[in-house]
Order: sequence, then C-alpha cells, then structure tokens
Amino acid sequence: MNGIFAAMFALSALLFLIFDPSGFLPALLKGGEKAVSLALSLMAAYCVWLGFFSVMEKSGLNRLLARGLRPVLSRLFRSKDERALSAACCSVSANLLSLPGAPTPLGIEAVRRFLEKGNTFGANMLFVLNAAGIQLMSTTAITFRLAAGSLTPADTVLPTLLATICSAVLAVTLTFLAQKRPRGKPKRA
Amino acid sequence: MSLLFPLLFLGVFAFALCRKVKLYDAFSEGVKGAVPLLLSLFPSLAAVLILSELFSESGLSEMLARLLAPVLEALGVPKELAPLVLIKPFSGSGAMAFLNDIITTHGADSYLARCASVVYGSSETTFYLSALYFAGAKKVSPLPVVIALFCNLLAAVLGCLFCRIL
Repeated sequence: MNGIFAAMFALSALLFLIFDPSGFLPALLKGGEKAVSLALSLMAAYCVWLGFFSVMEKSGLNRLLARGLRPVLSRLFRSKDERALSAACCSVSANLLSLPGAPTPLGIEAVRRFLEKGNTFGANMLFVLNAAGIQLMSTTAITFRLAAGSLTPADTVLPTLLATICSAVLAVTLTFLAQKRPRGKPKRA
Repeated sequence: MSLLFPLLFLGVFAFALCRKVKLYDAFSEGVKGAVPLLLSLFPSLAAVLILSELFSESGLSEMLARLLAPVLEALGVPKELAPLVLIKPFSGSGAMAFLNDIITTHGADSYLARCASVVYGSSETTFYLSALYFAGAKKVSPLPVVIALFCNLLAAVLGCLFCRIL
C-alpha cells in the first residue's frame, strides 16, 4: 500500500506540476472533502448495521447461524472464534445481497478479530471474498439503466452473477494456494 | 427487493423479542461501536480518497486508461470501458458517475451499457476496501489485494463475454 501510494501520488503530482500547477491543491482539498462527507454517510450506515448486528448477537441468532455453517466457515477462515466467524458470515451474506453499507463494518469487525489471533489467512480470505465476491443483484446499474429508459434493465443480472461466481471461485482457490502451509506458528505481536 | 429490509429487521427483532432481548439497550450498545470504528478508519479513508482524487484529476487515470485500452480490447472488453475498469478499485462514486455517463451517451440497452453495468457490478472498490479492512493491521501483505484485483479483471472479461452470448 505504501509503495502504491508513493508511486501514484508522485506521478499525479508530477502531471499537475507540468499541466496544471494551480489545480493541485484544490484537487487535494476536494479529496479531503469527499472523505469527510463519505465518513458521515458511512457513520450513518454503521449506526444502523452495528445496532442491528448487536441485536442479532444478543438474541443468539448469530450463534445459531454460525453453528449451522461452522463446518464450512471454520475451514474457510481457519478460525474457531465464534464471534469473528458470525461477523464474517453476516458480512459475506450482506455483500452477496449488496446491502448498502452493511458488509464493511461487519467485515472490519471480523478481520480485527482474526488478526488479533494472528489469523492472517482468515482476514485475507474474508477480504478477498468481499472484494471479488458473488453479486446477486447490482441495484445501482439497474437503477441507472431504468432511469435512462431501458426496456430490459435486469438483463445484466445473470451475466454479473455468472462472472462473479467464476471470480469468487478463483479468488478463494488462489488464496488457499497462496497460503497453503498451515500457519500454526505463534505470531510475534 | 424493497421488501427485504423491512422483513429482515422485523424478523430479527421479533426473534430477539422472543428471546427476551432488551431491544433498545442492545441496539444502542451496537451503535456505540460506530464512533470508534469510524475514527480508526478515517485516516486511511481520507488518504485513499485524496489519492484517488489526485489520480483522476491529474489526468493520470486517463493516460493509464489509454495504455490499458488495447490490452483490454484484446481480452474482449470494449475500449470505452477502460476508464471504468481502472477507476473502480479506487473510487465507487467515480465509477458510478462513469457508468451513468456510458449509459446515457450510448443508450440504456446498448451492448456498451450492458457491459458497463456488468463490469461495474462485478468489481469492487478493492483499494478502498483494503484500506478499511487492514487499517489496524501492523503488517499488510499486498497478496490479497493482487488476488482481488486479478479476479475483478477476470470478472470484467467474463462479464463482457457473457453479455455477448446471453
């Protein structure tokens, strides 16, 4: 991440220097502004979904869910931490349904729990699953096409689903292959 | 689809009430976690967004898109979609604006619009997501990001293929 940041920042700044020196600072500030407004809308989504998730957790629904899927989940993420697994499970299913704002806070919670136990594999697996995961419905594209007068706005659902199934399978396989050795050794921190 | 949310909340809350959960307390306890979570994420969030703004405003993304276009075209992704493929990992809102642009200029039911919808829907804001997910981690390996980017590219290629044959 640091390397990418440095390279992209330097290249962009260089281009600004050559073509549009006065546009540099406004662009930076615009990015900051976007971060602030995005943080506010993220905050709204986090309040709703973390509240919802806490109710799920208190009611024991989470445990039921995680217990039912445990054989699959614990192998997929190589973890026995029930809370982390249930958060991961909820995050992946929220991503599957493209619930706006829901996958991220749950995913972050699960990733932190995995990393606390030194389970990099589980954290990576969850990230890959959410970043290259299966999409049942992409509502944004459908909304846009409907607004532009499309007669068959939903005809992209099937190609998207098929393409993401392939990419998800590949992502999981690659993650397994990349970290095939069992990481049983205790981590430093 | 719109029924999903009310049903989901009603179902879970009803279940919680049956289990004698104090709904108000449980919900507000969950919300309590939102502030520290956001505070811990904000630095990475801001850095990535400022970078992505620079990336698109400086024209660097356009240059890269022009370089990338022939490669994508060879893989069956129309060259008009190169900027979309490139922007999506960094910025969801940027990609969204671009998607809308393609849909309105080329027609809602054109092949390009359908391809763009699939490319948009099947990829994820990978860099942004990795910044959030691994914000607290001490050492971040680039491996999952590379895997995710590669798989998103594959999804774009396959998606355009499926658009043609389905």
